[in-house]
Amino acid sequence: MKTSTNSDMHSTIMTPKKLLISALLASVFGLSSMPSFAFDLKGVLKEAAEKEFGQSPEAPATDATQPQTTTSGSTASEPSATVKASEPEFNWKNPSKEEEITLGREIAGNLLGAAPLVKDAALQKYVNSVGRWVASQSERPELPWRFAVIESEDINAFAAPGGYIMLTKGLYRKLTNEAQLAGVLGHEIGHVVKKHQLKVLQKQQLLNMGAGFLSSKYAKDNKLVSKAIGTGAEISARSLDKSAEYEADRLGLSYAARAGYEPYGLTEVLQAIGQTNKTDGSVALLFKTHPHPDERLVALGDAIGNKLDNIKSGKTLENRFYQLKN
Amino acid sequence: MKLTFKAILIAACLLPALHGSAALAAEAGTALKNDTLRKEPYADAKTAGNFIRGEKVEILKKQGAWLQVKTKKTTGWVRLLSVKRGTSTAGNQTAGILAAASGRAGTGQVVSTTGVRGLSEQELKAAKFNESEIKTMESYTQSADDGRSFANAGKLKPIAFANLKAAKGTAQ
Repeated sequence: MKTSTNSDMHSTIMTPKKLLISALLASVFGLSSMPSFAFDLKGVLKEAAEKEFGQSPEAPATDATQPQTTTSGSTASEPSATVKASEPEFNWKNPSKEEEITLGREIAGNLLGAAPLVKDAALQKYVNSVGRWVASQSERPELPWRFAVIESEDINAFAAPGGYIMLTKGLYRKLTNEAQLAGVLGHEIGHVVKKHQLKVLQKQQLLNMGAGFLSSKYAKDNKLVSKAIGTGAEISARSLDKSAEYEADRLGLSYAARAGYEPYGLTEVLQAIGQTNKTDGSVALLFKTHPHPDERLVALGDAIGNKLDNIKSGKTLENRFYQLKN
Repeated sequence: MKLTFKAILIAACLLPALHGSAALAAEAGTALKNDTLRKEPYADAKTAGNFIRGEKVEILKKQGAWLQVKTKKTTGWVRLLSVKRGTSTAGNQTAGILAAASGRAGTGQVVSTTGVRGLSEQELKAAKFNESEIKTMESYTQSADDGRSFANAGKLKPIAFANLKAAKGTAQ
């Protein structure tokens, strides 16, 4: 990856952990289907941004100011040298499928560090079976799709590049049949198919590399992750996120329908989430930073029109829907 | 005479039960968009009136992808996704609070799990890559063939259905 001088960039270095979390949040918050509310996205970003930039996180990434803050003691004074030092080269402009999977694995592995798998092999296998069948109806059936339920009572789902998909136990609790699970997983599959998260990371990374933000110190910690990082500020581009959400809704419903499921599964889940107690502080953030479930229902309804009128054979399969043990 | 009376009563009770799958016991709902109400659950059925976004309705029946709703003025059929179950709408804080107070909106889960927020900000910040967990996750991977067998076991039949596109005229 060639570097270029770009005085429009923030000359900022973050700690690997923070950078990774920023990257994770980019994929998780911006684009996940059932965003949770216990994460304080704004808070995290604001804190990180204020610490790193000394300014508001809403400031555009093209802001010309160049705070000299670093948290590591390293500097980015030799941009071209540092980038060259961080071999092996990750092709950010056009990552291969393998690179995409490697990147997704890093992100998923970190999320699992925060919330481990639910220790129920039968549950995990069930979710993988449903997810795999739905993913086979997508435009990227060849990916090694992997699914998991993680230990969290938040209501959320996550997609990482390369086909790593996780949903929380809290979200699973909201489901009552397999068609609903298929719809939720379909939404996340849609994000992966359209590379929504990957594109956010790519954009951020290309910007960073252009400005030579990476240092060899981080590259030593983890060559890939050190490159798979964002400053966080980029995430505040909300308009892209919303359109990605709507697109994933449409794809998720379409995949589940093609798989033979009752196509309204996803909309039922959105109905349920829309009824979640709005006065709970943990829900407020969702309604603030994401399309409200009501808006998603309207958008889906408009996209559906009469297109489902002749689909009557879809199954809900509540009988084999796996019941959580606790 | 008494017997007949009882029989009628039982019949009267059974009638709604037989139609139980369609009846929603007059659930409250809210119009998600301006829409036309139809006299029958078909797109080309005669108009029975209309409702506007945010209008409170009573959901009487569900039939396929249609709901029969009662507004203050009229009764008619609208598409499933034109109505939100419950009484709160986006941007209507008061309705949400009222719904919560009446116990309608909450599922009870939020309350029961308070303090067990799995993914707090702190935990996220402290998150470290977990190799053994990701390996375990990967060990559950199913192949395309596995998926097909699973679908067959559930008698799921794949159908032809083109990906939905964004509706025209919407800002998506």
